[in-house]
Amino acid sequence: MSALISIKDLKVHFDLGGGGPLDRLFNPKSVKRVVKAVDGVSLDIEERETLGLVGESGCGKSTLGRAILRLTEPTDGHVFYRDRDLAHLSQKQLREQRRHLQIIFQDPYASLNPRMTIGQIVGEPLETFRLARGREAEQRVQELLETVGLSKRFIKRYPHEFSGGQRQRIGIARALAVDPDFIVADEPISALDVSIQAQIMNLMERLRRERNLTYLFVSHDLRAIRHVSDRVAVMYLGKLVEIAGAKAIYDNPLMPYTKALMSAVPVPNPRVEATRRRLVLEGDVPSPINPPSGCRFHTRCPWAIAECRLTEPQLQEIQPHHWAACIRISPEQPYIEQASSGSQ
Amino acid sequence: MTNLLEVKNLRTYFETDDGVVKAVDGISFDLKRGQTLGIVGESGSGKSVTNLSIIRLIPEPPGKIVSGEVVFNGNDLLLQSNEAIRKIRGRRIAMIFQDPMTSLNPFMKISKQLMEMTQLHLGHTKTQARAHAIRMLETVGIPDAHARADSYPHEFSGGMRQRVMIAMALSCEPELLIADEPTTALDVTIQAQILELIKKLKRETGTSVILITHDLGVVAGMTDHVIVMYAGKIFEQAPTNELFAKPGNPYTKGLLRSVPDPTAEQGKLYQIPGLPPDVAHLKPGCPFAPRCDRVEEICKQEFPPFVQLNADHHSLCHFAREVYSESGGTPA
Repeated sequence: MSALISIKDLKVHFDLGGGGPLDRLFNPKSVKRVVKAVDGVSLDIEERETLGLVGESGCGKSTLGRAILRLTEPTDGHVFYRDRDLAHLSQKQLREQRRHLQIIFQDPYASLNPRMTIGQIVGEPLETFRLARGREAEQRVQELLETVGLSKRFIKRYPHEFSGGQRQRIGIARALAVDPDFIVADEPISALDVSIQAQIMNLMERLRRERNLTYLFVSHDLRAIRHVSDRVAVMYLGKLVEIAGAKAIYDNPLMPYTKALMSAVPVPNPRVEATRRRLVLEGDVPSPINPPSGCRFHTRCPWAIAECRLTEPQLQEIQPHHWAACIRISPEQPYIEQASSGSQ
Repeated sequence: MTNLLEVKNLRTYFETDDGVVKAVDGISFDLKRGQTLGIVGESGSGKSVTNLSIIRLIPEPPGKIVSGEVVFNGNDLLLQSNEAIRKIRGRRIAMIFQDPMTSLNPFMKISKQLMEMTQLHLGHTKTQARAHAIRMLETVGIPDAHARADSYPHEFSGGMRQRVMIAMALSCEPELLIADEPTTALDVTIQAQILELIKKLKRETGTSVILITHDLGVVAGMTDHVIVMYAGKIFEQAPTNELFAKPGNPYTKGLLRSVPDPTAEQGKLYQIPGLPPDVAHLKPGCPFAPRCDRVEEICKQEFPPFVQLNADHHSLCHFAREVYSESGGTPA
């Protein structure tokens, strides 16, 4: 396998102002405030895989997904797609590449123009990229609707006539119109009912097989991530903290934050729930403005030692194909429970 | 054990331009003291309207409780005066909603909002109420409660606000706590904190709980009994272990199979076809018939019976016994 998308040290910082000469004139203590939403992420997305990206709100997972497509401008770093660095293309060159890189949004209500018919919405990318027109375009739109499980009779209807699940199908059809290689799915099932979530996950899985797609599946829903992904990357306050196969990351999480995250997932099985021991974290996720020093998780980590406040951990391959960022574990000593010295 | 709450044949309808929406249509259930009942369903199934009907918070018009009884401690709440209900609400039956920000007054200090509860219901003086408020904030795990009591809601995170809501709900030691999607808006590690907190407080105070949620994982970990709602009806009700192990209704069965279990092998997910029904335009017959994988002619013609499968296991289905047997149950 080779990487379809290769992200190198990507950063997305949002400047909130403060700290300038004028600010200091009115408030001598004013400091520059920067949200480091994505702060040095390197990641390869292999051809035809589904890479799940999980984390809690504010961890930067959606920003990372958007920055890959440059829907949010990266501050620094590279995103290689077929030997081109998307992060440094001109707008014109970027537009040509966008044909191969698409996105599906969380809110199917907000992402479809209410004044366009379904046919216009799904057909618009065909026109934009001059892929088809007239009767041929109409034919393509009908095929696309059928591919995502919608009747071609819907072509003249408007978004408000559809349910959430159907609108998500329309969003998928629009993304498929240009026959992309890569799709960022940003929380594609979070707004949907349980019975509809399964429909959309199965649809996306089928399309991936049939059309050789590669997905970055961004979600906070760990059960869905476990189900759809080949590999999973976990994000915390702008950094990747663990990457591994979906089964490994659920059954054998190594980094403490991942452990807590996986143990917090409610399992739909009362017998499992009755005997489970949860690692319940204290406190909330700290603010991404001026995040904690060293390991960003040290403020909530039950195993943190003084060193964790100072040293920023790097991702290292602790077990084969299983990367984690924690200074207290190593290939020789992969389990933090056994790294007892200095812990509580 | 005695029943704290008995809901009998409750019907709550809404008048709309589109016709009468039978949001809750003839449901009955009991809640024993000290137990937790889960109500699961998809959007529009009537689970929240059931809860609002119990505490008489249905906006009228357009809504109306058309018939039924809600017997709480031997008294039918639907027959009480508004004034009598106000004394019960918050004092003996408390509620937590999904979004704590819309349930807290943004212009009022947290302490003041908590104090109002006990000043009103328990006749506390200002000093007593303040001491009690701070004690409650400590109970729900607000760090440095003394100092933070005088914050405003916007200064708290979502998880902290939900803790404040729980502190407020429990401050008069209610007999019944109704929690409507209490963790849906929260992150998963915060959800785990809040669920642990509700469990702990329930153990300590013996409060009965009705937990309304769409998340079958939350139901599995928190409840003793479960009610599954669909199109304003109870489709199945059973003890939690029994319902997950031996579902007796095709809808429940489909729902359970469509949720990925991270502890099991990941095969292809079962999917229930189609969409939840429009309750304003229900056809005769079973409301689930258009989506059911074992539908037969009778399902389209006749409304299904509520079949008793076991001592406290019921299912609304023409083929409830067959479905139950296929799940490994032995119908009584």
